[in-house]
Amino acid sequence: MKRILIVEDDRTIRKELSSLISSSNYEPIELNDFANSYEEIISLNPDLILLDINLPYLNGEALLSKIRKTSNVPIIMVTSKNTEIDEVLSMSYGADDYITKPYNPTILLLRINAIFKRLENNSEIITYKDLTINMQKGLIKKGEEELILTKNEMIIFNYLLTHQNKIVTRDELMTDLWNNDEYINDNALTVNISRLRGKLKSIGHENAIETRKGIGYILS
Amino acid sequence: MNFINYLKDKLYSLLIFIISLIIIVLLLSAFKTGKSLTIAITFILIVSYLTCILIDYFRKSRFYKDLLYNIDSLEDKAHLVLETITEPNFYEGELLYQSLYEINKATGESIHELELQTQDFKEYIEMWIHEVKIPISSLALMTHNHPDKFDKNTEEQIRRIENYVDQVLYYVRSENAEKDYLIKETKLNEVISSVALKNKDDLLENKIDLIVDNLDIKVNTDSKWLEFIITQIVNNSIKYHNKTNSYIKIYTKENNNLINLIIEDNGIGIDSSDLPKVFNKTFTGNNGRGLAKSTGMGLFIAKNLCTKLGHKISIESKRNKYTRVTISFSNNTFYEVVK
Repeated sequence: MKRILIVEDDRTIRKELSSLISSSNYEPIELNDFANSYEEIISLNPDLILLDINLPYLNGEALLSKIRKTSNVPIIMVTSKNTEIDEVLSMSYGADDYITKPYNPTILLLRINAIFKRLENNSEIITYKDLTINMQKGLIKKGEEELILTKNEMIIFNYLLTHQNKIVTRDELMTDLWNNDEYINDNALTVNISRLRGKLKSIGHENAIETRKGIGYILS
Repeated sequence: MNFINYLKDKLYSLLIFIISLIIIVLLLSAFKTGKSLTIAITFILIVSYLTCILIDYFRKSRFYKDLLYNIDSLEDKAHLVLETITEPNFYEGELLYQSLYEINKATGESIHELELQTQDFKEYIEMWIHEVKIPISSLALMTHNHPDKFDKNTEEQIRRIENYVDQVLYYVRSENAEKDYLIKETKLNEVISSVALKNKDDLLENKIDLIVDNLDIKVNTDSKWLEFIITQIVNNSIKYHNKTNSYIKIYTKENNNLINLIIEDNGIGIDSSDLPKVFNKTFTGNNGRGLAKSTGMGLFIAKNLCTKLGHKISIESKRNKYTRVTISFSNNTFYEVVK
């Protein structure tokens, strides 16, 4: 499991971030002592760091540039400093992403996901049971059989796939779609899901997507 | 300084001189002085009096004319006039010059003090806003992590708080002379994407379709400021939407070196009598009074930020038909040159 280090001095946010991250199948680690933050971070050797800017002792920007001298670990700046100057500065110090507080928790998770995907660099082709999925082309293959998904269907299927066997809320699907500049409404989401179901059915996965009434969907 | 007025001012000395002259002439004739001597004395006295007056006039007039002319041409910067004139070499002028200098200094000091106070206040507000965003973030995370304890309504209220907090932040930034923005090439679709995601729930709950077109375009702006500006406009569109088939269209149109970003809705519109005033501070027209509560600050701040960034913002509307806000970005040949 990927280990995500939370460097945040506000205890409530730290706790809530932890539970958000663990609910998404990552292992959260919290930094509790900021006096030796740099040494601590290096020795914890996480897979990704969520880094606040306003920190006791060494601030986030200084920490970032110090970490970058020795490590390429992905770092997302999570901060309430929301000027363009702060963002440009952080990115120039080598941050991988910059998110301002208050943020949408689903978006934060999507950004974390995106960074891991970019690193693994094998996001192009995924498999689900006997299916091979080519994300870029929107293609599902089962042996010689080919199926083309629309962009929206692909976004939905991809999200369900990365959260396989977990309940996915409509809001999460919607957020991911909107995050990909597909500003669809509730009806369109329902239509897209039933079309996706139809397409999966046509290649022999009839009940792949189950509805959990009032909660969301689950891909088994 | 005009000579006639100057003479009027010297009327008392002229009267005293004329009376003295008459007395002298009378005395001279009483002592049976020769006619030619009387004329010579009278002539000398008149010439020396006039010379005194003229010398005095020219010394003063040069200083006062300069002073008045410079005050006039400095317009609203008149307080800087002392820097433009040389210190006069006559007593009254010196007094005036010194007084002006002291007054200037005192005023300058109190203005400086006020500036420091404003600066302090601004810094405090900025700091406070960063502080208050921490509990807001906690709340946002809590509502997400514990959907059983909070309902959708809580999230909506959190978003409202967030927007009001942002309004204060950007008000402080827009009113301040200090430059705390950064203009760089920005993709419009990324800005719109942030705005859309932020307002997603409000749009979906109110069944307002968001339609975007032709946004794959770059403009020179501060993306955070622009995001705030568009959020204010979109917030209004949501607040004043029509009950059925509502939409918000966001698209661009290019014309004559201008990129126009247009945000258009089919909401309740704005009365034509209110239209010229919507960018005024704390203006709440018929819409603001009638439907949802409004502070009248959103568009005012948006306009101020646009002015600072060098964008133009304008609004058109027809009651119960549409409202269309246009933000114009110039194609900034200046930045092209710099690059």
